[in-house]
Amino acid sequence: MAYMTLKDIDVRYDKKKQVLKGLDLEVKEGELVSLLGPSGCGKTTTLRVVAGFIEPESGVFSLDGEDLTKVPVHKRNFGIVFQSYALFPHLSVYDNVAFGLKMRKLDKGQIEQKVKNILEICGLSEFEKRFPQQMSGGQRQRVALARALVIEPKLLLLDEPLSNLDAKLRINMRMEIKRIQKKLGITTLFVTHDQEECFSISDKVAVMNQGVIEQFDTPENIYQRPKTEFVARFIGFENFLSLKKEGNVYKTEAGAVFTVETVKDGDFVAGTIRPEDIRIAGEKEDHNVLSGTVGVRTFLGKSYQYEVLTAEGKFLVSRPAEEVYEEGSTIRLYLPESKLILVNK
Amino acid sequence: MKKRSAFVMIIPGLVILAVCLFLPLLRVLIPSLHTGEYPLSAYVTFFQDEYYRKIFVRTVKVACLTTGFCMVLGVPTAYFISRCSKKWRGILLSVSIFPMMTNSVIRSFAWINILGSNGLINRLLITAGIVEKPLKLLYTDFAIIIGSVYLFLPLMIVTVAGVMENIGDDMMEAALSLGADRIRAFMKVIFPMSLPGIIVGGILVFTGTLTAYTTPQLLGGNKNMVLSTFIYQRAMTVGDWDGAAVISLIMIVVTLAVIKGFNSLAARLDKRGGDHA
Ligand SMILES: Nc1ncnc2c1ncn2[C@@H]1O[C@H](COP(=O)(O)OP(=O)(O)O)[C@@H](O)[C@H]1O
Ligand SMILES: [Mg+2]
Repeated sequence: MAYMTLKDIDVRYDKKKQVLKGLDLEVKEGELVSLLGPSGCGKTTTLRVVAGFIEPESGVFSLDGEDLTKVPVHKRNFGIVFQSYALFPHLSVYDNVAFGLKMRKLDKGQIEQKVKNILEICGLSEFEKRFPQQMSGGQRQRVALARALVIEPKLLLLDEPLSNLDAKLRINMRMEIKRIQKKLGITTLFVTHDQEECFSISDKVAVMNQGVIEQFDTPENIYQRPKTEFVARFIGFENFLSLKKEGNVYKTEAGAVFTVETVKDGDFVAGTIRPEDIRIAGEKEDHNVLSGTVGVRTFLGKSYQYEVLTAEGKFLVSRPAEEVYEEGSTIRLYLPESKLILVNK
Repeated sequence: MKKRSAFVMIIPGLVILAVCLFLPLLRVLIPSLHTGEYPLSAYVTFFQDEYYRKIFVRTVKVACLTTGFCMVLGVPTAYFISRCSKKWRGILLSVSIFPMMTNSVIRSFAWINILGSNGLINRLLITAGIVEKPLKLLYTDFAIIIGSVYLFLPLMIVTVAGVMENIGDDMMEAALSLGADRIRAFMKVIFPMSLPGIIVGGILVFTGTLTAYTTPQLLGGNKNMVLSTFIYQRAMTVGDWDGAAVISLIMIVVTLAVIKGFNSLAARLDKRGGDHA
């Protein structure tokens, strides 16, 4: 059963461009769901609708069966971690974290106990007297997380929380966020444009494109079975060929025949395949074959990567380092039906 | 090396200040310390005189109330302006400094027209049947305060808006997300973060009001004198230059004390950068 639901959300800024177009999303209790998509696709806007900073033009946001679309931000009880962290510079770490509890008028003893507990969980116990500007990026990040979590929020919202950290710290912090999120069992929305970060941290991923969610699935399914060409390209597929359905098989414009494991709705689709799944065709293979000319060869250590120019465009092919094909030679590529993925265009 | 060349560069400024400001000032003020039977006796006499004391208290009261009203009115206005788009911010700031661009005599006459016994407010009150006889609004402390607030509010708004512009929207949003309503978020986050600007604005308004001459002269009249109008009267009407010097030094001391007071208040309220061991 869904815990958090966004239903048919429309948002436009300044009555002009529509930024979210009938967006739907359902999140189960305790799940960590990522919104993944290129810059400007509406991830932050979606998060701000959930947070209550933006009231959608139409549509409903509900949590635990309760319609919260018109409830003001300060009554929602959601923890938000901002991209900028938004720590209060005039307050110490302790007072930053205690802020939400003071607003809830808890007594001093309770506040102290809760703040110390969350600082401990976030590994900040020794910093409680420091001020934000005396801390490193990673430490500030933890303070922002602790401040959002200490109010025991019904939802945790994070907008590209790791984008200001260097690469190594980013990997540490995302494990840390995952650990704390699982420990507290808190339902979480996580915005990112980094697919590796997203796959490593999420229970489920919503891939967004121009204000709609193109695919909502587990990281594994998105990686192995992207549904649309946009999703496939966004997660790193580069080889595409246009196919037209004819009975149970597909044909390219030039007439090459391709078989697949499961046919897809629609007559015109695209086929895609990862470079390492392409093989060199033997004598007997007469379908799922593309012939082409070897272009630029790049040595990658364990393997060579070739650009192969075919009638369907450029294909990247990765072959073991023991096999070498010279530039300019003609080869036949075999795209096994078990690896060829069909996506909607 | 760097420090020395920087020092060389401030020499011309220092010389001008010394020759044109400090020397004449000292020449006026130092003798005032020795006039009378014993050192500082002129000052003791000043505070023993009830009439003088009344002027002193009125001056400080007017300056304090003006500063207070400018803060209460100016800080929320400044926040509103700082949240507007860049274009609107420019427009609103120009509108708010408009009073500063008119001559202070004309500005005061406008207030005389509004506050006078035959003025706008009294005519409205009488027409509406709220009062029978015109109220005495002009030539009161109240009139001086209104005129000074009108005069110095822009200074407060511009100073505070300048500081608030640098506070991101995310501060307010973070406070809201933590359960504060807008007013509490403003009081607990935006206000303390803008304190440096509010303090500077407060000092400017306070010293401005304390030293203003035209406004209290025209709106307070001769019965409601403040120190600045009193100095003029002593020196120009009575020819008592020693008395004028005494009042001047008192004003300087009050100004310095208030600046010091504001700054230590700021230090108390803002513990950042202190000792965190
Ligand atoms: N305050 C705003 N006013 C007008 N347009 C905006 C505003 N915020 C975002 N947009 C536009 O809405 C679109 C989506 O923005 P956003 O949700 O921030 O994308 P993302 O977080 O995925 O990068 C972008 O085209 C952006 O230019
Ligand atoms: Mg964004």
